Amino acid sequence: MSEPSVSAGIDPHARQVRKFRLQDRFFHHTTQLFAFVVLAALVGILVSLTYEAWPSIKAFGPSFLWTNIWSVPDDEYGALAAIYGTVVTSVLALLIAVPISFGIALFLTETCPVWLRRPLGTAIELLAGIPSIVYGIWGLFVFAPLFADHIQPPLQALLGDVPVIGGWFSGPPIGVGILTASIVLSLMVIPFIASVMRDVFETVPHVLKESAYGLGCTTWEVARSVVLPYTRVGVIGGIMLGLGRALGETMAVTFVIGNANRINGSLFAPGTSIASTLANEFGEADPGLHIAALFELGLVLFIITFVVLAISRWLISRSMGSEGL
Amino acid sequence: MMSLYTRRIWINRIGITLSMLAMSIGLIALLWILWTLFSRGFAALSWDLFTQDTPAPGSEGGGLRNAIVGSGLILFFSMLISTPIGILAGIYLAEYGRVSRFASFTRFMTDIMLSAPSIVIGLFVYALFVVTTGGFSGWAGSLALALIAIPVVVRTTENMLKLVPTSLREAAFAVGAPRWQVSLKVTLRAVKSGVVTGVLLAMARITGETAPLLFTALNNQFFSTNMSEPMGNLPVVIFQFALSPYDNWVNLAWGGALLIALLVLAVNIGVRIVFRNKVKR
Amino acid sequence: MFNQPMPDQAMPPDENIALQVRNLDFFYGDFKGLNNVNLDVANKKVTAFIGPSGCGKSTLLRTFNRMYDLYPGQRAEGQIIFHGKNLLDKSQDVNLVRAKIGMVFQKPTPFPMTIYENIAFGVRLYERMSKSAMDDRVEWALNKAALWGEVKDKLQQNGLSLSGGQQQRLCIARAVAVKPDIVLLDEPTSALDPISTAKIEELINELKSEYTIAIVTHNMQQAARVSDFTAFMYLGELIEFNETGTIFMQPVKKQTEDYITGRFG
Repeated sequence: MSEPSVSAGIDPHARQVRKFRLQDRFFHHTTQLFAFVVLAALVGILVSLTYEAWPSIKAFGPSFLWTNIWSVPDDEYGALAAIYGTVVTSVLALLIAVPISFGIALFLTETCPVWLRRPLGTAIELLAGIPSIVYGIWGLFVFAPLFADHIQPPLQALLGDVPVIGGWFSGPPIGVGILTASIVLSLMVIPFIASVMRDVFETVPHVLKESAYGLGCTTWEVARSVVLPYTRVGVIGGIMLGLGRALGETMAVTFVIGNANRINGSLFAPGTSIASTLANEFGEADPGLHIAALFELGLVLFIITFVVLAISRWLISRSMGSEGL
Repeated sequence: MMSLYTRRIWINRIGITLSMLAMSIGLIALLWILWTLFSRGFAALSWDLFTQDTPAPGSEGGGLRNAIVGSGLILFFSMLISTPIGILAGIYLAEYGRVSRFASFTRFMTDIMLSAPSIVIGLFVYALFVVTTGGFSGWAGSLALALIAIPVVVRTTENMLKLVPTSLREAAFAVGAPRWQVSLKVTLRAVKSGVVTGVLLAMARITGETAPLLFTALNNQFFSTNMSEPMGNLPVVIFQFALSPYDNWVNLAWGGALLIALLVLAVNIGVRIVFRNKVKR
Repeated sequence: MFNQPMPDQAMPPDENIALQVRNLDFFYGDFKGLNNVNLDVANKKVTAFIGPSGCGKSTLLRTFNRMYDLYPGQRAEGQIIFHGKNLLDKSQDVNLVRAKIGMVFQKPTPFPMTIYENIAFGVRLYERMSKSAMDDRVEWALNKAALWGEVKDKLQQNGLSLSGGQQQRLCIARAVAVKPDIVLLDEPTSALDPISTAKIEELINELKSEYTIAIVTHNMQQAARVSDFTAFMYLGELIEFNETGTIFMQPVKKQTEDYITGRFG
């Protein structure tokens, strides 16, 4: 600080200026430190799960991922059944949720009367606010029995004899199982996908839509040929977000998936997912390989969802940032 | 033969009908779940629910007093941890986010944490805290829930701060204020209600979280306010009781689920009403 | 062209000149927003900057208090001499520059606090004073902005509760309260109704006895009414700068004449 300040008249403020500079630096570093907490948590999750899972990683190696065995008495563990259940329920949930979410987003942005937009939008957001355990007990006590009595038998009668896909609908209609879990999961992810879709649909410039309408396009044609292509990236991001949610969802799935640690070709059969295995077994797990294997399951889940969510966020931010402008 | 035009009109009608159908599926699901919850939950509501503790297996009656108090304590402390961290981190992202690579990286990671599986957070706190302190405790539960709430607070705070008109920020700088005063005394104050909303929504988000509490706070059949011990809490009680063979337990599970859902819905609807009025002005 | 020492730099600061702008270039990233601007802003006079949208008049004003510093990618090169020092120098403290060169924006920007605190906030930054001295300062500033009579009974109300015109005068009071040398007005009336506009213009006339005022306006009549000097800018260049009467009655450049007579812009 060789130069004096702007003028003689404000020299007395030199001390104040220095104080402000120090305070600002302190402010910068303090807030940065707190932002760092989030990153630290993320790294901490990765490190601590790997550490706790190490005995299992050492014992089973990479084949843990594709071994279909989960036996506590023999102390032998493989993640295949849980991964299978997680992936199948999530993908099925998306197959159900994506068209419905698209319909909801389209309705809310294009056809819904303006005065209804806010209440209906709020209703969909409330669906996202309901705790997952509520979905779980609703699924177990209300939806599963109804599904077993009124949907599974006709579905079986209709599709059970069709080659290839018939097997998916075989077995006793007991209500709980992979398909039930998928349906409950789909209800849970619909609000997430729908609200991302609605947000990206709203980034479509009005002039673009108006010029399409001006050509005589119908609402449906505008949605298909203007809105959807324009927001493609964001829509895929929204779907991936739903996938990330579905993969890691615990309580709703645990209640209705049936919790059988095996792979069955039928969608009516009970199964398991990574999250539900953890919820069911972790509390009573024996120290040693069992608990390490559970940690490894958690690590696998974390890595899968991390990748899916990272792609999703990247796509959404790309879509809202550049295309949206 | 149908003309091209009529065909297009029909396709449009089918498309619109399908989108309305999708909307109704969403609404029906919401109403159905709420209806079930209210009818089964209100049947379970009684004075005992609030005055008695969770019953032992096989015994009659019982309530949720210990779980309600436990949940309240765990929630309170998790918000106490996550609110300052979240707000300050949100300020960092809003203030320095445009220039710093670290900030954009943190924002990206926060977005991922926002949707990260909560059960994994539970595992993390188990490994980090339960193993090292030697047991399940209310503190561990609060920590796990705080980790889930932080990203919510961070992102809403940042988004709210970004809504502050640039001219207001510039005006504060224009009187010669240092950045920390601009940030805390002007911009943060301008979006106070929005930040409070974010904190409330974060609380609503973690109120029903069950998975991370399974391995952290665990459960406690008895009334306890000692945060260093396993602590009863509504989500875990609901989980255990709903899957139990006892009718009174299942009833209590519905009652607990109703309490949680009422709180969550009240916060969600409340902040929307309050916030809408703010925005209108 | 870069950083050649200017002859003016050695000269003692001229008392009649508040700001000397020399060889000023401004960049938004790669885009050049101002090109070699040179002018003197006269002390205790009103200098108006006019020109079509995007001509760089607001950009120029925002270099005077280094508001552009807030945004990465924006930078100014050249010199703006204020009290004998180049205020674009990295070593200059921006907060202090801004305390000495106040600014009022297009839209009223009352801080989210009481009317009293809106004024006291800036004063408190660089001055320590007793409660009663602060009360006096607040009253003085509100008087300067011709607002005291309207708000003296509701100093503890939120600044946002005032009308748009009152809010803008509150912002002027806030800028004046810290006793700056220069007040920058960036289209201060464009969001206001005609009556409020007239009040603000009246205020500018009174303030110029004590402060140097630089005003950006898209309203040529306003420039003619309130200013002593007028600068006409076009496409990032200063086309013509002279006494307001001369600019409006006998512009030298064809572009100025075209703009003033409404042939473009």
